[in-house]
Amino acid sequence: MIQLNGITKTYTRPGGEPLNALIDVSLHIDDGEFVAIVGTSGSGKSTLMNILGLLDVPSEGSYYLRGEDTAGLAAAAQAQWRNKRIGFVFQTFHLLPRTSALDNVELPLLYSDRVSIRGLGRKALESVGLGDRVAHRPSELSGGQQQRVAIARALVNEPDLLLADEPTGNLDRRSANEVMAIFQALNKSGRTIVLVTHDAEIASHCQRIARIERGRIVADQRVTEPKIALQEAL
Amino acid sequence: MNTMRLINHSAGMMGRHKVRTGFMMIGSFIGVAAMTLVVSVGMAAERKLVKLAHQMFGESSLMIIDGGGHMMGGPRNPGTRLKIDDIEAVGKQVPEIESWDAQQGLTTSVRRGDSADTAQVLGESERSEHVWGRHAVQGAYFDDSAVKSSERVVLIGQTVVNQLFGNEDPMGGEIQIGPVPFRVIGILEPWGTDPHGMDRDNEIVVPITTLMRRLTNVDTITGAKLLMVPSAQETQVVKAINTILRERHGLTADQPDDFSILTASEVQQVMASIKRILSLYLPLVAAISLLAGGIVSATLMVGSVNERAAEIGLRRAVGARTEDIRLQFFVETTATILAGGVAGILFGYVLAHMGATHMHLGSVAPWGAALLGIVSSIVVGLAAGLLPAQRAAGMSPVDALR
Repeated sequence: MIQLNGITKTYTRPGGEPLNALIDVSLHIDDGEFVAIVGTSGSGKSTLMNILGLLDVPSEGSYYLRGEDTAGLAAAAQAQWRNKRIGFVFQTFHLLPRTSALDNVELPLLYSDRVSIRGLGRKALESVGLGDRVAHRPSELSGGQQQRVAIARALVNEPDLLLADEPTGNLDRRSANEVMAIFQALNKSGRTIVLVTHDAEIASHCQRIARIERGRIVADQRVTEPKIALQEAL
Repeated sequence: MNTMRLINHSAGMMGRHKVRTGFMMIGSFIGVAAMTLVVSVGMAAERKLVKLAHQMFGESSLMIIDGGGHMMGGPRNPGTRLKIDDIEAVGKQVPEIESWDAQQGLTTSVRRGDSADTAQVLGESERSEHVWGRHAVQGAYFDDSAVKSSERVVLIGQTVVNQLFGNEDPMGGEIQIGPVPFRVIGILEPWGTDPHGMDRDNEIVVPITTLMRRLTNVDTITGAKLLMVPSAQETQVVKAINTILRERHGLTADQPDDFSILTASEVQQVMASIKRILSLYLPLVAAISLLAGGIVSATLMVGSVNERAAEIGLRRAVGARTEDIRLQFFVETTATILAGGVAGILFGYVLAHMGATHMHLGSVAPWGAALLGIVSSIVVGLAAGLLPAQRAAGMSPVDALR
C-alpha cells in the first residue's frame, strides 16, 4: 500500500535557517495493516502524516502509493486521490459548524465525480452507530459523537486507506475507546489504517508501532497481542 | 453536474454566516437601490422633458420673448417694449412664418362665489389653439370677432375647474378674474407640470384684447410663438426677425437686444445638459455607493477566508481542488451581493415610483434600471469575489489545517 524511500522534509524557518522535520524516513506498510506512528510533539509525525495524505510533498525521497509514484501526480490528480482513496480523521474533528451531521458526512461527495450519491452519507453514519443523529449539528453532539461523524465522513467515499492524526487527543477515555473500536472493526474489514498518537495506551490497540524521534524512525515493531477495544457503545 | 452541486452547496453556505451575509447584502442593497432610483426617475424625467419640449415647440417653431439676455435659455431683464405690432410686422415681412400668436400673461386671483384660486391668466388670439397646440377638451376657443370686441369669455384648466367648480359643470358658468366677470366657454387640455414646477392646468386663456383693456391696462406682450413652414432655415429666420425687431425698436449697433429669440435647437442644448446630469452624473454617484458596498463585501469575505482556514484545509483534505475552493468563494460572494442587489432593485423601484408620482413625472419603467442593477451587482460581486477567492485557493492545506 505505502512505500516511503528516504523521505526528507525541510522547512525554512522565518529566520531563514532550514529545519529538518523528517530525515531519511523509509517505511513500508502493507495492505490491511493497522499501524501506529508514535512520537512526541515536534517529532515530525504530523509532517509524515501530511506527506502520506498527499497534503504536502517531500523535499527528497520518493513515495509510492499503491505502486504509483506520487511525485508524478498533478495537483488535480492528488485531489482525486485524497477524495477517493484516502480518508482523513483529525484531532479537532474539523466538522463544519452550523451544518448537520449528514451534510458534514456528505462533504467529500461534493468533490467526487460519482453520479449517484443518494444514501451514501446516511449509510456511513449508520456504520459508526449514528443513524439516529443525521440532522444534529456538531454543537448538539458529544465529542465522541463528533469524532464518529468525522470518521463517517472519512468513510463516505469508501477509501481503502485511513489516516488518523491524534483521533483520540480531544476525547475522554470512554469516547476514545469507542473510536478505537470503530478503527479495529474497519481494519478487520480490510482497510489499511495509519494512526498518529503520542499515547502509548492508544497505540497498543494497533498491530504495529513505529516510533519517530526528531524526524527519524527509531523503532518499528509488531505488537504481538493488540488490545481489543470493547464495542459496548455500538 | 459536479460543478452544479458545488455551486448549490456554496450558495447554501451564505445562510451559515448570517451576520456577514447580512452586511454584504446591505452594501449592495443600498448601492443598487440608489442606482435603480436615480436611473428610473432620470428616465421618467427625461421622457417628460422631451414631451414638454414637443408641447412648447412642436415640429418647427420659435418664440420671441420680451427682454434681452439669456441664461440657460431663459430670458433675463424683463423689457417693456415688445408689442403685438412688432410680431405682426415679423409675420408679414418674413415669408417663412406660417402663423403666430402673441401672449400676455398675468398672475392674479380668480373667484367664483366663495371659491378662490390664484391662476396664470394668458391673453391670446383666435390662433391660439393652432399655434400653441393646446386643445379644448370641452367647448371651443373664441373666434376673431370675440378678440376684436374684447369679449369676456374664458377657457380654464383642470386645476381651476377643480378649485372653483368642484363637481359642478363649469361650461357656461361665470367666474371673476380680478373684478371682471367672465363666461366659461371651454376646458383646456390637461398639460400637467412643466420643468419649472408650474402647474400648466392652473391656467386660464382669455382674448388678449380683453386682458389688455380690462385687466392689465398695458399694451406690451410677454412673448409670442411663431410657426415656421417646414422648409424654413431656422438661422436665417432668426436673423431676419432680429433685424426687423432691432429696426422697429430703434436700437443702435452698440445696444444689446431688448428681446430674446428662443429656438427649438437652443432648448435642445439645455435639455442635453439636463440629460447629461440625469443619465451620467446621478448614476455615477449611485455607482460609487455600489462600489463602496463592493469593497466592504470584499473585505468581509477576506476576513471570512482567514476565519475559515480550517474549513478550507478540510475541504482540500477531502478532495477539493484549488479551483473548487476558488469557485466556492466566488459563488458565495457573488450570490450574496446579487441577492442584496435584487432586493435593492425592488426597493429602488418602489421609491422611484413614489418619487415620480410626487413629482408628476408619470410612470417609471423598471426594466432598464433592473437590468442595470443586476448586471452591475454581478460585476461588483465578481470583482469583490476575486481577492477572497484567490486568497482561499492559494492557502496551503497543511497551514490551513494547523
